[in-house]
Amino acid sequence: MLQMTDVSKVFRTELVETHALKNLSLTVNEGEFVTITGPSGCGKTTFLNIAGLLETMTSGEYLLDGVNVSQLSDYQRAKLRNQKIGFIFQSFNLMPDLNLFDNIDVPLRYRGMRAGERKQRIDRALESVGLLARKKHLPAQLSGGQQQRVAIARALVGDPLFLLADEPTGNLDSNTAKGVMELLQEINKAGTTIIMVTHDQELANQSPRNIHILDGSISDTSDATGSRTTSAVDAVA
Amino acid sequence: MFLYYLRLSALSYKRNPILSSLMVLAVAIGIGAYMVIYTLNYTMGGNPIPQKSAQLFHVQLDTGDPNRDNDAPEQLTYLDSMALLDAKRAQRQTASSKFTAIVEPANPEIRPMITNNRGVMADFFPMFDVPFLYGGGWDSSSDDSLEQVVVLSREMNERLYGGADSVGENLVMNGEVFRVVGVLDDWQPIPKFYDVNNGPFDPGEDLLVPWHHIVDKNYGRAGNTNCWKAIDGTGLQAFLNSECTWIQFWVELPNGGEEQAYLDFLNSYAAEQKQLGRFGRPLNNALFDVEEWMVEQEVLPDETQILSALAAMLLAVCLLNTIGLLLSKFLGKSAEIGVRQALGAHKGSLFIQHVIEAGFIGLLGGLLGLGVAALGLEGIKVLLGQEVMVTDWIQLNVPVVFVTIVLAIASTIVAGLYPIWRACNVNPAIHLKTQ
Repeated sequence: MLQMTDVSKVFRTELVETHALKNLSLTVNEGEFVTITGPSGCGKTTFLNIAGLLETMTSGEYLLDGVNVSQLSDYQRAKLRNQKIGFIFQSFNLMPDLNLFDNIDVPLRYRGMRAGERKQRIDRALESVGLLARKKHLPAQLSGGQQQRVAIARALVGDPLFLLADEPTGNLDSNTAKGVMELLQEINKAGTTIIMVTHDQELANQSPRNIHILDGSISDTSDATGSRTTSAVDAVA
Repeated sequence: MFLYYLRLSALSYKRNPILSSLMVLAVAIGIGAYMVIYTLNYTMGGNPIPQKSAQLFHVQLDTGDPNRDNDAPEQLTYLDSMALLDAKRAQRQTASSKFTAIVEPANPEIRPMITNNRGVMADFFPMFDVPFLYGGGWDSSSDDSLEQVVVLSREMNERLYGGADSVGENLVMNGEVFRVVGVLDDWQPIPKFYDVNNGPFDPGEDLLVPWHHIVDKNYGRAGNTNCWKAIDGTGLQAFLNSECTWIQFWVELPNGGEEQAYLDFLNSYAAEQKQLGRFGRPLNNALFDVEEWMVEQEVLPDETQILSALAAMLLAVCLLNTIGLLLSKFLGKSAEIGVRQALGAHKGSLFIQHVIEAGFIGLLGGLLGLGVAALGLEGIKVLLGQEVMVTDWIQLNVPVVFVTIVLAIASTIVAGLYPIWRACNVNPAIHLKTQ
C-alpha cells in the first residue's frame, strides 16, 4: 500500500545542506498500525510529509497504492491526498471560524461530493467520535481532546486508505491522550491503516510495529512479538 | 463551490474586520474618486442622440476674415442660412437661434416673466427626435406663413398651466398672441449638441417658435454673435446683410453618399458667393456629424482629462495599499492554506478561493465607493451651482453603477494577484507543524 525505496530528502540553503532523510526504505501494508519514533530533528515529520504528499523527495521511489507519485502534478497529488490519506496533527489544525460540521466538510468539498452524501458522511463521522450533538459548535467551544476527536473525524470522513498522525497526543494530558489512542486503535481494528509519529515511547510500545528513525535513516524496528531488527538502511514489514 | 468560497470570504472578513475594512475603505476611496470623474466624462462626452448622430450634420461655411488664419466660424450668417433654407437640398434642415422674450401669463396670479427661447424650423422636431407630452411641432407651412405658434417646455407648461394639456391655449409673448401647438416631454440632451457654442450644458429653452419670427419681430437675440467685418450701415437690415454669424444650421442626411453631395453643394454655393465678393478664404466648408461636432468644439474640456489622470493615480495608490493589506491578510492565512492543502485542495482551487475573496472585498469597496461617488457628485453640483449650468444630469446612473462595481471587483482582483500567488505557494508542511 505504501512503499518507499531509497527515499532521500535534502533541504538546501545558500550556506548549508541538510539531509533530512537518507535512503529510507519502508513498506507499510494494509491494516497495519505503525508508530514512528526518534529524537527531535531525526526526520520523522519529513517522512510523514513525504508520505502525505505534502513534500517532494529529492531522490528515491514512492509508490502509494501502486501509484508512483514522483512525477505527479500538484493537482494529481492533491487528488490522491484527498482520496487516500487522512491527516491528524498535533495541534488539531481545525479552522477556528468553521463549526464542527463545516470543518469535517472541507475534504468532502474538495472531492466534489453532493450535499446529501456529505451530510450523511459528516454525521456518521461525528457520531463515531461521540460529538454529533455538538456539530454546530465552534472548535474553541471544545476541549483539546474533543478537538482532536473532531480532527480524527475529519481525517476519516473520506474513507482514506490510511491515516497519518503527527504526534496526535502531543498537546493532550495523559488521560485524554489515552482516550485518543484508544480511539485510533479502534479505527485501526476496523481496518484503517495508521502511521503515527510520536515522541512517547509508551504509546509506541502499544502499537504492533514501531520504527525508530535516527539521522534520517531507520535505525531499528520492533513488532508486537518483541522481535527487533536493527538496520541502518532498511526495514521491511 | 462559488457560494462556498463566497461564504469563506465573509468568514475571513469577520475574522480580520479591521484589516478587511481598511482594504474596503482603500478601494472605496480610489473607486469613488475615479467614478466621480468617470461620471462627468461619461455624461459630458456621451453621444446625446446615438440613434441618429451619424445622420445629423452641423453645417460650417468658412466665411471668416481672409486676412486672418483663424478657424472657420461655427455659426452661419443670415444670408447664408436663408440661401441654404431656400435651396432645400437636405431631407430635413433647420436654422436655430436663441432669443429672449417676455411672456405674460393668462393667469393674473402669475407675474410676467423673461423667458429663454429658441427659434427653429418645423424640421427641428423630427430631426432631433424631440419627445412631446402633448400635441406636437408645427408643419413647414407654418414656417413659411409665419404662423404664431409655440411649443412649450414641460417646465414652462407646468408654470403656466399647472401641467395640464395646454394645446390650443393662447400665450402672449412680447405683446403678441401665440397658439400653443405642443408641450415637450422631458428633453435635456447632454451635451446640448444642437447649440454647443452657446453652452453645451446650459438648460433647455422655455419656448420654441418658428425661426423666421426672430427676424420678423426683431426679437432680442441671445447667444454668441461674431462679426469679423464692420456692419455696413445701421438697423436690422444692415445686420442681416452683414458677415455676422449667429445661426446654427443642421441638416439631416439619412442615406449614405448624401454627405458628399451636400458638401459639393456647399462648395458650389461658396464658389458662387466668391464671385459676388464674399467667402474670401480658400474653400474650407465642412459637415460634422454630432459626435464629430462634439470633438471639434472640444465639449469635453482638457481639464477633465487632467482630472481623469489624477483620479486614476489616486486609484492606483489606493490599490497599491490594497496589495500590501491583501498580502498581509493572505499570508496570515498560511496555516489555513496548509490545512486545506493537506485535506485535498490543489493550488488552482486555492487560487480561485482567494480570487473570490479579493473580489468580495472589491464588491464591498465598490458598494461603499458608490456612496463616495454620490457624495463627490453632490459636492460638484454644489461647486458648479445651478446658476452656472444645469447640473441635474450629474448623477449616478445604471451604467455608472455597473461600471463602478465591475471596476472595483476587477481592480481588487488584479491588485490581489501577487498576494494570492504568494499565498498559494506557501509550503504547507511548515505551517501544519507550527500552527
